[in-house]
Amino acid sequence: MKSDNTFRNISVSLISIWLGIFALLAFLLVVLLSFMKNDSTTIFSWQFTLDNYAALFSSLYALVFAKSFYIAGACTFFCILLGYPFAYILARKVERWKEPLLLFLIIPFWTSSLIRSYAMVAILKTKGVLNNVLMHLGIIHHPLQLLFTNSAVMIALVYNLLPFMILPLYANLEKFDNRLIEAARDLGAGKIKTFTKIILPLSLPGIVAGSILVFLPAMTLFYIPDLLGGAKALLLGNLIENQFLLTNNWPLGSAISVTLTLIMGVMLIAHWLTSKNRERGDFL
Amino acid sequence: MNNSKARIIDKLYLALIYLFFYLPISVLIFYSFNNSSYSLVWHGFTTNWYHNLFQDSNLWIAAAHSLLIGTLAATMATIIGTLAAVSLYRYRFMGKNFLNGMVFILIVTPDIVMGISLLLLFSIANMPLGFWSLLLAHITFCIPFVVVTVYSRISGMDKNIFEAAKDLGARESTIFRKITFPLLLPAIISGILLSFTLSFDDVMISYFVSGPGFEILPLKIYSMARLGVKPELNALCSVTFTLTLFLVILSQRFTRKSS
Amino acid sequence: MKTWFLGILVFLSVPAFGAKEIVNVYAWSGEIPDAVITQFQKETGITVNFSTYDSNETLYAKLKAVNNPSYDVIEPSSYYVDRMRREGMLEPLDLSKITNIQYIDPEFLNGDYDPQNKYSMPNLWGVTGIFVNKKYFDPATIQRWSDLWEPRFANQLLLLDDVREVLPMAMMSLGFSANDSNPTDIKLAYEHLLQLRNNIKLFVSDAAASIITDEDATVGMTWNGDLYRAQLDNPNLVFIYPKDGFVIWVDCFAIPKNAPHYQNALKFINFMMRPDIALQSSMAYYYATPNLAAQKLMPANIRTSSIIYPSHDILKNGQFQTDLSEQSLNLYAQYWEMLKLKM
Repeated sequence: MKSDNTFRNISVSLISIWLGIFALLAFLLVVLLSFMKNDSTTIFSWQFTLDNYAALFSSLYALVFAKSFYIAGACTFFCILLGYPFAYILARKVERWKEPLLLFLIIPFWTSSLIRSYAMVAILKTKGVLNNVLMHLGIIHHPLQLLFTNSAVMIALVYNLLPFMILPLYANLEKFDNRLIEAARDLGAGKIKTFTKIILPLSLPGIVAGSILVFLPAMTLFYIPDLLGGAKALLLGNLIENQFLLTNNWPLGSAISVTLTLIMGVMLIAHWLTSKNRERGDFL
Repeated sequence: MNNSKARIIDKLYLALIYLFFYLPISVLIFYSFNNSSYSLVWHGFTTNWYHNLFQDSNLWIAAAHSLLIGTLAATMATIIGTLAAVSLYRYRFMGKNFLNGMVFILIVTPDIVMGISLLLLFSIANMPLGFWSLLLAHITFCIPFVVVTVYSRISGMDKNIFEAAKDLGARESTIFRKITFPLLLPAIISGILLSFTLSFDDVMISYFVSGPGFEILPLKIYSMARLGVKPELNALCSVTFTLTLFLVILSQRFTRKSS
Repeated sequence: MKTWFLGILVFLSVPAFGAKEIVNVYAWSGEIPDAVITQFQKETGITVNFSTYDSNETLYAKLKAVNNPSYDVIEPSSYYVDRMRREGMLEPLDLSKITNIQYIDPEFLNGDYDPQNKYSMPNLWGVTGIFVNKKYFDPATIQRWSDLWEPRFANQLLLLDDVREVLPMAMMSLGFSANDSNPTDIKLAYEHLLQLRNNIKLFVSDAAASIITDEDATVGMTWNGDLYRAQLDNPNLVFIYPKDGFVIWVDCFAIPKNAPHYQNALKFINFMMRPDIALQSSMAYYYATPNLAAQKLMPANIRTSSIIYPSHDILKNGQFQTDLSEQSLNLYAQYWEMLKLKM
């Protein structure tokens, strides 16, 4: 009987050791480093300090946080605005071709977002597709300067992250009990009331899950502002990247990352609270 | 009457969003065959850009590196991830909930956080950045996705099968070989394929943990994309996109088979 | 189970490709063409692992961050050669192996940043000036850096993503030296730049040429070679040597301390200085070469181009970038980061 535990032990220790080292330990090192003093010649020195966190509250960095929140928030908003009706229609109104439609939704979810961002550059540039089409149609006479603006970053973010909003929403709306809606109708609720009182609250976990998957990457996908944004599109991801690869201030970069993780923690708790009474694990 | 109108609006809306998803990438593929760099006008069909690509030996090396890392990372991640999913489903052990939560959190953790964590780990361990750092990183970020994929399959299985096998005196490793593995095979294959696409397309994490001497395709694409839109790059992106597209569809077929 | 072990065995044996001769080159993006690297590999049988950076700061950060450096050849700008030399980050060059030094213009040898070229060899040089697309703005109205502060350029300017280009630009427009180290002057330059915020569209370095060509930016700051290259595809572009002064830069090859393949690194550097190779790398991106023999091999229109090889009269207005004290560098970096955060 004793040897029978070998398989179990190997399996469990393999994953535990792996994630323990490469995820947990690695992250704990980041937390540790975020309390260390910066030293431009040796990366950090073993001196405890809260300066890195204090710096984040200085007006300079707070500004970047605010800007990132604003852009990521707006991006999340647009994703909900565009994605909710889409997920709703797909989950509840479509009868035929549901399988292929779903597949076509999953494809952009899994394919390279770098390549899709690059495609966006080709569309938005001054001599790009969009300007060419608009000029051909005579709608504009001078090309729009879209590339290297915050709008370009926003468009690319929504384009890249919309599937991450739609999929959890779809998963949520699909499981939903039709009888609730019928009951509401029977009790005399109008369409709007049924939506705001029944459908929307019940799909809240989906909205929160989607928002986590959109909001965090929107702040951190540094290559999108890099490829499409101008001087004003410095987001948290770029800030972290710069601390690690340019200004060599790893402790500050770590502090920003830890703060980011805390934000994620808050969002996860929100997700947990909203989906508390419902089936868990409908995330992806 | 009103209903059919609403239905048309529904369909139109779906079509618009799908257009938004697929138009930019189709445009890219279209341009990769156009005999002119920017002009919207069709200047005739050409495979020149692809031809140029195939002559670029550096690109081939980067692609080979990516294939190597992708294959190894997908295999290792699938082995570890599958065993983990099976353990999480079948066994009780200390820290099970913790492990469960960690897998879930790793999926939503921003890539950049994972990237710098690993950079710091490798840097403190005094490990040179290159093949090994990339491989370890890629295995790590693929594992949670394999666990989720395999777990969703195994949780649909009847627990009694395992109990019955156990009662008949089968050892755990035999149960895995004879029962669990064959039943999970579609999910495992789908896990491998998805891990491979994840690894093959990853920019964020690789960006931090790659070093000189081992260039991979996504980073090469990134550095090219930063230098502007080029027909050759359109072709390269089209090839890469088509490859992942193929793998995703394949993986979805296996997923569906398993459900 | 057996197949697994086999798999793991294969997996472990994969990176056994360390046997062949290699050299790890880390250089400015857009300064070493692929063809040159291919030729080096063919002639010497040494495999080149080539990667690029887009600012001296990135190079410096990389060298500092990686404890066991694997780079053999790097290409810092002259003022960074000085800094790295000072900080003991460079390996002295074995000059007996660099025979092609004979072709280099003496004016580019024995510079203040590296007396007797103990640590570095000049590869390419250039100047940083103003570019204008005449479809959008009249070049005649833009002659100085200070003209860029005019409100008509709102959201138009492309600036190089480089602290040692942008702050000096502001300093020269205020009448200071490009290498000013006086803290009050640096602060004034920073405050002056804050007033430029409205006009700045983007900071970019190695990608500038294509952005300028495609008219995604219409006026701003650029390296002369980039502008020459852009002009070939877009004749509306004009290069201007600012009357209030400009920066001259020299990018040099060097070998970092503890380079794992020192001898191959020397071979690579010497190869890059061979006239036919220097010609190729200069002609690939149109930066000027300090290699006199290579210059002689150039087509006349390049050799006499006032954009690439400005006359002595024009060059009088230029200043070489020089190293600054650690203190001033920190000050520069601090203001630079503040500017970017405040954009």
